[in-house]
Amino acid sequence: MKTQESMPTTKVERSVKFVTTGFKIGGNYVKHYSKKLFDPELTRDELNEDNATDIYNSLSELKGSALKIAQMLSMDKNIMPKAYVNKFSQSQYNAPPLSGPLIIRTFIKSFGKSPEDIFDAFNPVSTRAASIGQVHEAILKNKKLAVKVQYPGVADSISSDLKLIKPIAFRLLGMNEKELNIYIKEVEERLLEETDYNLEIRRSIEFSKACRNVKNLAFPQYYPKLSSDKIITMDWMEGLHLKEFLATNPSQELKNKIGQALWDFYNFQQHELRAVHADPHPGNFLITPDEKLAVIDFGCIKELPDDFYHPFFALAKPGMIDDKAATIKAFRELEMIHPKDDKKQIEFYYQSYKEMISLFFLPYATSTFDFSEPEFFENIYAHGEKITSMPEFKQPRGVKHFIYVNRTNFGLYMLLNELNATIRTDTYLPHVSYINQQN
Amino acid sequence: MTNADQIKNGYIDYVLTHGEQPKTVYNFAKKLKMSEADFYKSYPSFISIEKAVWEDMTKETLVKIKEQKVWAKYTARERVLSFFYSYIEKLKTQRSFIIYTLKKYPNRLTTPDLLSGVKIIFYDFAEGIINEGLEKGELADRKFFSNRYKDALWIQFGFIINFWIDDNSPAFEKTDEAIEKGINVTFDLFQRSPIDNLFEYGKFLTRNSKFKEKMGI
Repeated sequence: MKTQESMPTTKVERSVKFVTTGFKIGGNYVKHYSKKLFDPELTRDELNEDNATDIYNSLSELKGSALKIAQMLSMDKNIMPKAYVNKFSQSQYNAPPLSGPLIIRTFIKSFGKSPEDIFDAFNPVSTRAASIGQVHEAILKNKKLAVKVQYPGVADSISSDLKLIKPIAFRLLGMNEKELNIYIKEVEERLLEETDYNLEIRRSIEFSKACRNVKNLAFPQYYPKLSSDKIITMDWMEGLHLKEFLATNPSQELKNKIGQALWDFYNFQQHELRAVHADPHPGNFLITPDEKLAVIDFGCIKELPDDFYHPFFALAKPGMIDDKAATIKAFRELEMIHPKDDKKQIEFYYQSYKEMISLFFLPYATSTFDFSEPEFFENIYAHGEKITSMPEFKQPRGVKHFIYVNRTNFGLYMLLNELNATIRTDTYLPHVSYINQQN
Repeated sequence: MTNADQIKNGYIDYVLTHGEQPKTVYNFAKKLKMSEADFYKSYPSFISIEKAVWEDMTKETLVKIKEQKVWAKYTARERVLSFFYSYIEKLKTQRSFIIYTLKKYPNRLTTPDLLSGVKIIFYDFAEGIINEGLEKGELADRKFFSNRYKDALWIQFGFIINFWIDDNSPAFEKTDEAIEKGINVTFDLFQRSPIDNLFEYGKFLTRNSKFKEKMGI
């Protein structure tokens, strides 16, 4: 594997990187429009592809939070044109690692010992990439361990990265900076949490314990004594990533089993724990040889507060969405309809969000759902493309919690789609105590 | 403890306590309850003690990094990175004294006499690594320039030490970044690059096309 030899970490260097990207995107537009002069048939696909490549290339050099943002954008397939999505989906797999001596340095700082003094064996070449760190294989007392080492300086650079990415996000998503701030802040909070490995190890232990009764899940054991604020040590999980798993031509039955485990894992957390592993990226899961779904990363946890959970999941109740007054009330609480909207706007947003929410909760409408159905996803894409082109949706609406809840659930749907799984969706249902009062 | 060690430790202690070197060797030797002759048996002057401290630290670092099991597997680039990370770790144990010795040389552009011994040790280390890198093809063998690679690393040496002296970041994290970046950039320059290809291409063109005639050469 190619080792990344330099990581631009000062703000100036990062700015240059981002500026280059912005510049290149500009260039791609010029290229697109000049080509279009001669070939009016040309679609924006090629342009999107060019843009995605340039953005991805510079993001992957930046690593850290920028890579995380690339991943996040890649999960929100509903708002991203397809070309971006394909490019961004690579981000977790292709991050080039940092130099071996720096890894050893990080160990010495954490434990006063080098990895070879702590473990019986330690592979200095990282075997798996984690978005803000890299994973090394180690052996201790005949046990194979996975040691996740955080890139130095990541926490420092997140805020400055987010500031820098704003103009690009503004361009990509067509949002204005002021409106974007509240969302950026939400993302920043989660990202900063992710850099806190002490928090992650605590949560990993907590969540794997809480989810131990959910069927067909596997969790590694964590070793707090071999962990620090920059290092997490856990069992090495044998297994295949989703893509590799699918390449082995698993039976439909097995795909359903894994899909069911995924669904149960997420919905158990959302509805029973009210806090959810909010990073349904394929890189965070492995399918083990004994046909279980192993969850290997609890870096990103989104808690669902009551004032979001109840109005939102009330909408999942069959028939609820047709009750216009109740639905509008829920939309108001979720700030999808604003107090100063006039009658016409209320009607407009009600209709649009009704369509979106019905799509979102479609899997909940029946007791089983076939995620291989392309129509469902085409509708989601089509809806996403439609609303991105509508001026009414230029400014984002909805409470900040939507970012991670959407990301989580759409991410889950995408994973289930890739598995072509048909699953029972009534295993862990929402518990909503939502009193429908008319104001 | 040998006589030399006793003098060395006593000297470090004296300097750090008083903020300056002892007035005379006689006075200092008396403090250590030894004769002036005993002092001169080990060191010819105070500055030679300071030089010895630096040289010892450098040698100890080299011994330590070569003891690592991964050392054999390291590339030239990784070996140099490993040296600097360990060196800074080592210097940290005597940071106050290190700063004291360097403060006497405000001109940071030239190699102070203090580091003349370290320079020899470092050059020896760097040359070994560079030659191995050249043999294995990790580094580009360039006429005239290959011989100067070690000078580039020595410049990095000076830069990193100076950076560390002024570094106020927690756990000297910024120095780590300075090492990672600086050494990587330096090694990027040592490797075959587009410039080499451009140069080769230029040479090819001048030899084989009508380029020469056109240029009227």
